[in-house]
Amino acid sequence: MSASFGSALHSLANYRAHNTRASQEVLEKGKLLLNSNAASKLGDDAWAFLEQLALAAIDVAKYDVADECIRQLAAKFPESPRVDVLTGIRMEATQPPQIVLKFYEELLEADSSNAAIYKRQISVLIRTGKIEQAVLKLSEYLDTFYSDVEGWVELAELYSSCNQYTFATQALSHALLLAPQNPFYVLQFAETAYSADDIPLAAKMFMLAIDIVDRHTSDESIPTGVSIRAWYGVKLCCRVLSERSCSSASETPLPRNLNLLDELATERVLTAYSAGGTDNATGRELVSSWMGPSDRSGTRLHFVH
Amino acid sequence: MSSPAVSLYLDPQIRDWVLFPITLVMILVGILRHYVVLLLQSPPKKLARAAIREQRALIRSQVLRATSANSPIPPSYYRSISSRLAAAFEAGTYLKDGPSEGDAPSTPANPMTDPAAMDGMMAGMKTQMVMMVPQMVIMGWINFFFQGFVLIKLPFPLTLGFKSMLQRGIETPDMDVRWVSSLSWYFLNFFGLNGLYRLILGNDNSAADTSQTMMASPFAAGANQPGQPQDYVKLFKAEKDNLAFAEGLYSWMGDDVETRLLRKHGKL
Repeated sequence: MSASFGSALHSLANYRAHNTRASQEVLEKGKLLLNSNAASKLGDDAWAFLEQLALAAIDVAKYDVADECIRQLAAKFPESPRVDVLTGIRMEATQPPQIVLKFYEELLEADSSNAAIYKRQISVLIRTGKIEQAVLKLSEYLDTFYSDVEGWVELAELYSSCNQYTFATQALSHALLLAPQNPFYVLQFAETAYSADDIPLAAKMFMLAIDIVDRHTSDESIPTGVSIRAWYGVKLCCRVLSERSCSSASETPLPRNLNLLDELATERVLTAYSAGGTDNATGRELVSSWMGPSDRSGTRLHFVH
Repeated sequence: MSSPAVSLYLDPQIRDWVLFPITLVMILVGILRHYVVLLLQSPPKKLARAAIREQRALIRSQVLRATSANSPIPPSYYRSISSRLAAAFEAGTYLKDGPSEGDAPSTPANPMTDPAAMDGMMAGMKTQMVMMVPQMVIMGWINFFFQGFVLIKLPFPLTLGFKSMLQRGIETPDMDVRWVSSLSWYFLNFFGLNGLYRLILGNDNSAADTSQTMMASPFAAGANQPGQPQDYVKLFKAEKDNLAFAEGLYSWMGDDVETRLLRKHGKL
């Protein structure tokens, strides 16, 4: 019995460290521990374990287990902001949104510095479809807590969902400032700029994403992941730029040597599909036929976010 | 003229009953001070949202400036963020009490009236009292009990100027200055036990003599102590100038990215 406890504790600690959301397993392992009142024997780790178990229980709708965990935590830490967040999450599972929102308002009036409650409030607003209010609250939140990168990315996605692509690029620019070496954000910026019809900016940012990712790889290497998507983006931009004149809302100049860029992009994407035997054969054919001389219909795609 | 080779023979009881007790008492009082300061420290006060916003406003421009020479964002975006921040700093939009109305120049928060700053000052004064009171008590105790005799011989020679200070209570005109009284042993311990405290209590202890470290590093003495209220109006004005500098340094990474890529793959 104690051996299984030890391994259960070990894997639970592992989940906590890596932030994995394996809720059913956490619940099964955690219930054993909870029933045998191991919480008292775990010492300081017990509270993190109770929080983890409560969240997992809410995830799989075992509300009695969650209530028990929250009760123990509230007994130990009265008036704790962290326990308040857990209570709020538990309420969100069963109560109607208006009651939950009122609960959060009261908490924020009492203590306006609790960042986690702001985030829960915004997530409830998004879930119930009140996008405008969510955007307002999120902007307010980011005005105070500027360095929350995920907050800025969430704001950009909210704007994109309403087709406000320019505002989305502005939100992403803050995310880029906070995490300048992250190529995923650069790629998202490029795709959002493309959807906002700022093609020269999109072309530059696609190339920037490739630059960041491939900085230390040789020129003979096969592009993967972010690179392929960015090279596709470059190809699309070159195609559009050669078909019609594009103005840039951000006054970005057109990239020089467009035809060379076009060739390079084609090459790089085809290299990616040429590697690895026959399973890529159909893909390769489709891609090369798409890459070939396109029809001058001028249709443009919006990137799926 | 003192004869050079005279050496006094001291009663070994002096060593047992004065030397070691003074050192022991000082060590124990130091440890006591450390724990009293720990107990007196109240947890940091929760700041209201406006206060947090004011505190973190500087971070926004610092983040912008950090990457300004190799910035990931295009010029129009950079300039709009930069000018918006500069205007906000100028108008005091981030100040916790709101921008100053009309022509009244905004004054820094008066420590007497701002309750948050008052708490910071009280905390600082409490630690000072805890440090100073035991020192005075021990000095009084030593002066009262251990006066009028010579305690130790310093291993290094000193000039005659130190005689009056180190041999207080022993009025002999020609005893070597190296023979000193117990008060000077107290001072020696006072300055020397730092190392021992660091050993016993770890590096960040409150028993160590902080005035010494302040003397050693004049830069640290000039820096703002965390308890004191910061003057955000001045800080914002300084940050505005920094923004102007950074804008001069600004350069976009995407400026010649296509040349870089083409060259790398041998097309150019």
